[in-house]
Amino acid sequence: MAAAAVAVAEPKTKYDRQLRIWGDQGQAALEKASICLLNSGPTGTEALKNLVLGGIGSVTVVDGSKVEPSDLGNNFLCNSRVNKECLGQSRAQSVCSFLQELNDAVKVKYVEESPGTMIDTNPSFFSQFTVVIATQLPESSLLKLDGICRAADIVLVAARSYGLTGLVRVSVKEHCVIESKPDHFLDDLRLHNPWTELKQFAKSIDICDKDPVVHKHTPYIVILVRLAEKWADAHDGKLPSTRQEKREFKDLIRAHMLNVDEENYKEAVESSYKVSVTPGISTEIRQIIDDSSSEVNLSSSDFWVLVAALKEFIANEGNGDLPLEGTIPDMTSQTEYYVSLQKIYQAKAETDCLAMEHRVKNILKRIGRHPDSISRAYIKTFCKNARKLRVCRYRSMEEEFNAPVISEVQKYFADEDSCFAMNFYILLRAVDRLAANYSRLPGIFDSEIDEDVPRLKVAAVSVLSDMGLNGTSLSEDLVTEVCRFAGAEIHPVAAFIGGVASQEVIKLVTKQFVPLMGTFIFNGIDLKSQVLAL
Amino acid sequence: MASAASEEAVKAAKVLMVGAGGIGCELLKTLALTGFSDIHLIDLDTIEVSNLNRQFLFRKSHVGQSKAHVARDAVLKFRPKINISSYHANVKDAQFNVDFFKQFNVVLNGLDNLDARRHVNRLCLAAEVPLVESGTTGFLGQVTVHVKGKTECYECQPKPVPKSYPVCTITSTPSKFVHCIVWAKDLLFAKLFGDKNQDNDLNVHSKDGSSSKSDVFERDVDEDLDQYARRIYDHVFGYNIEVALDNEETWKNRRRPTPVYIRDTLPEETVQQNGTSRECNNGHEEPSAMASLGFRNPQEIWTLADNSRVFLETLKLFFEKRQKEIGNLIFDKDDQLAVELVTSAANIRAHSFGIPLHSLFEAKGVAGNIVHAVATTNAMIAGLIVIEAVKVLQGDYKNYRMTYCLEHAKRKMLLMPVEPFEPNESCYVCSETPLLLDVNTKTTKLREVIDKIIKSKLGMNLPLVMIGSTLVFEDGDGLEEDEAANYALNLEKVLAELPAPVINGTKLTVEDFQQELSCSINIKHREEFDEEKEPDGMVLSGWSAPVEKQVTSNGGKLAASSSSAHDTVGDASANPGTKRKLDEVLESKENCDASSSAQVIEDDDDTIMLDEDPTLLKKKRSQ
Ligand SMILES: [Zn+2]
Repeated sequence: MAAAAVAVAEPKTKYDRQLRIWGDQGQAALEKASICLLNSGPTGTEALKNLVLGGIGSVTVVDGSKVEPSDLGNNFLCNSRVNKECLGQSRAQSVCSFLQELNDAVKVKYVEESPGTMIDTNPSFFSQFTVVIATQLPESSLLKLDGICRAADIVLVAARSYGLTGLVRVSVKEHCVIESKPDHFLDDLRLHNPWTELKQFAKSIDICDKDPVVHKHTPYIVILVRLAEKWADAHDGKLPSTRQEKREFKDLIRAHMLNVDEENYKEAVESSYKVSVTPGISTEIRQIIDDSSSEVNLSSSDFWVLVAALKEFIANEGNGDLPLEGTIPDMTSQTEYYVSLQKIYQAKAETDCLAMEHRVKNILKRIGRHPDSISRAYIKTFCKNARKLRVCRYRSMEEEFNAPVISEVQKYFADEDSCFAMNFYILLRAVDRLAANYSRLPGIFDSEIDEDVPRLKVAAVSVLSDMGLNGTSLSEDLVTEVCRFAGAEIHPVAAFIGGVASQEVIKLVTKQFVPLMGTFIFNGIDLKSQVLAL
Repeated sequence: MASAASEEAVKAAKVLMVGAGGIGCELLKTLALTGFSDIHLIDLDTIEVSNLNRQFLFRKSHVGQSKAHVARDAVLKFRPKINISSYHANVKDAQFNVDFFKQFNVVLNGLDNLDARRHVNRLCLAAEVPLVESGTTGFLGQVTVHVKGKTECYECQPKPVPKSYPVCTITSTPSKFVHCIVWAKDLLFAKLFGDKNQDNDLNVHSKDGSSSKSDVFERDVDEDLDQYARRIYDHVFGYNIEVALDNEETWKNRRRPTPVYIRDTLPEETVQQNGTSRECNNGHEEPSAMASLGFRNPQEIWTLADNSRVFLETLKLFFEKRQKEIGNLIFDKDDQLAVELVTSAANIRAHSFGIPLHSLFEAKGVAGNIVHAVATTNAMIAGLIVIEAVKVLQGDYKNYRMTYCLEHAKRKMLLMPVEPFEPNESCYVCSETPLLLDVNTKTTKLREVIDKIIKSKLGMNLPLVMIGSTLVFEDGDGLEEDEAANYALNLEKVLAELPAPVINGTKLTVEDFQQELSCSINIKHREEFDEEKEPDGMVLSGWSAPVEKQVTSNGGKLAASSSSAHDTVGDASANPGTKRKLDEVLESKENCDASSSAQVIEDDDDTIMLDEDPTLLKKKRSQ
């Protein structure tokens, strides 16, 4: 028994620091995920390295190239051998033997095949993966791959390092996030609209008790519920809403203090705005509820079944509100009061969750699924995070390339901050066009730089005109700069772009946090970055 | 790097890296693969299991070995021709003096604590070597550049310091779980297994001298181990609380704690039953009470009875399996048995005081001030450090940036680059502005000024104190015996009675030769100090006083303040006037050091973020 316990506890130690970010659920999702990497240059290797360290389930590297002297300079291959021995070896194999050393819990595989060929000849290969990370792929291959991945509902993350610039783009039809973990969110206390049990509990405590020990240990939730009621009684049932009223409400709270250093009353004053929160449902959640996907059928995902249930809940038990989150913040209080409050919030959250569960079962029955096919844990997490749901939808690359939203693009060009990103975006696409014509990247021969600059410019103009942006001018300096980059995959940029790509994979796989909503462009010249929604 | 000029600069550069932890591993690799060929690396730490999820140069077989040496060897395997010199040493050691620093073109910090960061900042200023600073916490990170005369130094702006707690809150009136953790870790654990000669406030409440006549924590040679564990339990959770309860004054306005005795918490279990699982813990496995007792889930909150079982078991395991270490153990967040003891003791105490109990996972986070850490951020930050370092090497100071990496793209930006600020004219480190010290010169000893102000607040390592031309104190080796004796004598004197009396208006000169830092402190005599707000009995002003993190127990306030913080972040890009605010906002989540009487902060390998009680602040990233 003890040995088993140790075996269970041991691997966790290694992941202790990251479990504090995404928890056991997130870690379990990572351990189940299988990742495919196309091209194992520095950017791709960096991205995989981060995922392998974090304990991703399995990785498969697709790369048909051999290790060349330039790889030895900017990739950490061939860990345990003399560098030269790797020359001419399969790069995929070389990278994999290094990755495997990082974490023996990860399944590391490779396919010696060029990504382009794989995309052209064996599209069904990709359907076995959770996420495909495509690095340093030209536009034409990327377009095809995006089509394949979308058809199979596989998440695609494209990443590219190019000189001092780089790009990361997520592509998936729809990614629904329950645990979006926003930086800040108001506690779900319902002080503006307390339910019966909370009201009764608040009433059971005499906030005018002269016993100083009781008085200074009355939790601020109770103080606020009571005083909000008192305020409403004196104001036609309305809660403080104007600035002036809010100030007066704070004065009302202060008037109930027995002495100036009662922490709980200070907390009540500081939290008094929680009484005035706008009741009901936020626009973001409203949009999700009103989305056509919430009209569910047999092919709907669990997420949307839950949204459908949520919609019914709001209209019925919820009385226009979402299920209660059920937790309360720490506050100055007598433990007994605090624990009672905790229980009251928990109980309401459980009741709400049960109601949701009931509705979910009915919906499942209605659409022809087994009523128990969605786990209680999932429903619980959903209820707890009902205020924070997010639905991310990405346009396909086909749409992005062939049907750009001109008004958006023009806005980016006009904006000082995003103009550089737009320039790089166009130039990176122009580079691919030029490469298709000349079978090489611009700027790789010093002797031809002077000719490559105008060539790149011509290519860029053709990209612009295809987008319907005739007359938009690019920065001459950046054209020259991009030519000078000569397609080099320099390590600091690769580390950064690979880092961003792996971070997006973590968000997508754990379904926690919100992934980048567009094309992320990095400018290593002055370290700016932008997300362009194209 | 993308240009011939930068390639030359990179090839010719000699760089010093301080820290081979989370950022350090990534940085060393990135430097090597960018073409740097002369790298010196200092790190004091050895490798821990919990490093392995991101410090990718290390393997399981390296646990316990020097980070600096292992990192060097690992990188030399794929870049055999470059020169990497590794030092398994403290950057504060005398060998790393100003002359040592002068040989480098740039210094890159991947450090984990404020103390070392300040030290390196001073040496870089003295040696006039540019410094690139960095830190990460979870998905957040930052890179800043500090060049003497051109930008602000690392200490120009206040740094957050950890919250310190009044000793009496810890010893007798805890009101939050973190107080119980500090008690369990810094008092109880230290008393049981630490250096016996160290002062310890654990028994502060003994009503008479009776319990101190012999040390109750001492185990008699023939005392049965179970007996001993139960005796300790009853003493710290029962008897000590009873003694404290006698002090009626304390409880007038407070909830009275409940003494906890083993006969009540584990009435059914006899001594013999408690000793059943011993054989489970055989062999090479690290001793663990959780393993012995079959507790598997570190995220579950144990009952009072289970906490009591764990407490007794850990005590016994320490004596049975780790006897040799007793007397010189220091709490370490990666020491499973130590974490188990601290968790169970803190929970039993929390129960006594009506504070909610916590799981081992949460308690470990509080006790170790554990930082969220993930490979992705470190890799990204290392990339940015190198890009910045290349600019520094080329003297491209117009393009220096302080860059903040955010967790959620704000206004569509993941990175927040800001132009560096001018040096702060009133910075005592990089300017010559004098400081002001309010102190009672008639009652305060020189030792207190040196410990609480000069070492802890000003971060000096080996200070020297002069009053006018009279040298009253000097630290370090190589002193003559009579000098040393004389200084030792001075240390115990109150300021007004020093050979050159310190009174209202006296000016002290304090210097640290190693850091080549000198500053003046003007003395203001004051007799009254507020015990709660000014616990040192002295107040230092005229410097960028570290800001104590404003984290209250009130979640609402936190939400409110963080939302305004984010507005600031958003505005910063549009409005240059708010840049400083942005910096403060982002700095405040940054790492800190230890400087409190009751709380010792453990350093993690990346950066340290301090909260009063991390478990109560799930959203602390936004602070
Ligand atoms: Zn300064």
